[in-house]
Amino acid sequence: MNRYIPIFLVFLLAIFLSIIIGPAQLNTDILQLRISRVILGIFAGGVLAFCGGILQGLFGNPLVEPYTLGSASGAALGGSVGMLIFGTISPLFAFLGALGVGFFVFTIARIEGGLLRDRLILAGVVMSFLCSSLVMIIMVMGGRELYEILYLLMGYLGVVINSTNRLMIILMIVLSGILLLYLYQYYRELDIISQGMETAAGLGIDIQKLSIIIFLTTALLIGITVSIVGAIGFVGLIVPHISKLIFGPKHLKNLPASFLLGATFLLLADTIARVITVYELPVGVVTSLVGVPFFIYLYRRQ
Amino acid sequence: MNIIETRDISFSYNTKEILTNVSFSLKQGEFLGIIGPNGAGKSTILRLICGILRPKHGTITVSGHDTRGIERKQLAKKIAFVSQETHFVLNFTVEEIVMMGRFPYLRAFQRENKTDYEARDHALAYADLQDFRKRPINSLSSGERQRVVLARALAQEPAILILDEPTSHLDLHHQFAIMELLKKLNKEGMSIIAVNHDLNLASLYCERLILMHQGKVFEQGSPKDLITEKILKQVYQTEVKVIRHPQKDVPHILLNPKGE
Repeated sequence: MNRYIPIFLVFLLAIFLSIIIGPAQLNTDILQLRISRVILGIFAGGVLAFCGGILQGLFGNPLVEPYTLGSASGAALGGSVGMLIFGTISPLFAFLGALGVGFFVFTIARIEGGLLRDRLILAGVVMSFLCSSLVMIIMVMGGRELYEILYLLMGYLGVVINSTNRLMIILMIVLSGILLLYLYQYYRELDIISQGMETAAGLGIDIQKLSIIIFLTTALLIGITVSIVGAIGFVGLIVPHISKLIFGPKHLKNLPASFLLGATFLLLADTIARVITVYELPVGVVTSLVGVPFFIYLYRRQ
Repeated sequence: MNIIETRDISFSYNTKEILTNVSFSLKQGEFLGIIGPNGAGKSTILRLICGILRPKHGTITVSGHDTRGIERKQLAKKIAFVSQETHFVLNFTVEEIVMMGRFPYLRAFQRENKTDYEARDHALAYADLQDFRKRPINSLSSGERQRVVLARALAQEPAILILDEPTSHLDLHHQFAIMELLKKLNKEGMSIIAVNHDLNLASLYCERLILMHQGKVFEQGSPKDLITEKILKQVYQTEVKVIRHPQKDVPHILLNPKGE
């Protein structure tokens, strides 16, 4: 039985629900806004879940997610700095922040001839704390921008796609698509790495090179994503697990499924975020609130 | 003919010298054992031969070619490495794991073809795993898992098999099964290098032994030449009694507990 069919149907349902459900009456303007949300939701949810799946495979660690490696906090820091300077959210600064911190973590973990993978995770976590503290300082200094920074930290799909940013967003999405396909070619390597590092090296995989490629490419992807929609948590952690539970451990199957499931999950979470209170919640709040119990339920059932 | 030859290889981690000027060779179709105390550098030699590590000095040639000039995937078609890793993070089925041995032959997005399936099935049959093929790996015992790991290496269709302590942590039955399997492979032409801590097993199954001590080759030769009370005392600092195996003409080691 092809398990993609029901997953795809749920995905379509999620798109449909995101478009029709909302506090305002549906008219042409609202429709345009919601379609732009749907596009960003599919993009961000898909990218985060796919990257999460790749990184969990590479590190053989089920608790790694895209943000463990520091890129997300870097984006939040960059965005906050931009806000301090220009008084508004700046995707470019968020993007530079993500890459900057990602690169810094990479430098800490780099040794002659490769990367120390444990050190990479540790450096990422430590850098996340550092970035959080710096963001706090900026928030205290900035005062009135606090609210906007909060959306950057928790994630928000309501970025209006208009004539000024349309081209940039399209370019970012196309670039992300290419990068995802590029990473997908390593599905067999990831299967084999789960058998152990020496086994993988003995089969001809250059682990150091692969780690560097995957780390830098995912940092770039996360930087792009966070710079557009903010740091949406939990999608990259939970969705790959759900994908593996449904599609099994083969990355050939579970990575594309992660993309679809991540997109679906984020669209549904965003729909909830829009209707649950009078004020719109940051979508990251909902992904955590919905994601955590769901995750516990799935794991207990296994 | 020497299928593997190492000349004066040295290796160090940071400043710690692990191997110093190690030279030895593996003849085509030979069953070579590497023995020695913990930390003597045995596993490092295996990793150097498989291309997982690069020697700081010296050369390693496989069928006359310097391994530095061989692409890693190409080397993996020639040499299969059975590491001590039998812990599985993801719960693949036995046949999926054995199919991973075909990695060196496959490009990204290339589907496995008839040759790959045949090599997999042959390896499964050889390791007597047909009844387990659809079973998830984590439902198998450690002895069965060791056979899966060996089958994965056989699916690589290598000319040389390199094993890092293939019988450690196994019960008597599985130790025997693995060693007999290796013997059969060797009879059919496979060249084998195995690190083994169990000197009696090494003595029974290996044609020739290399005794490592403090990063150097202490001695090499037949089990009869190497496994003597004098040499073992020097290298292991342990008083043992060496007798002749009652059925085979090989040495057998007996320990003497103190105070009796």
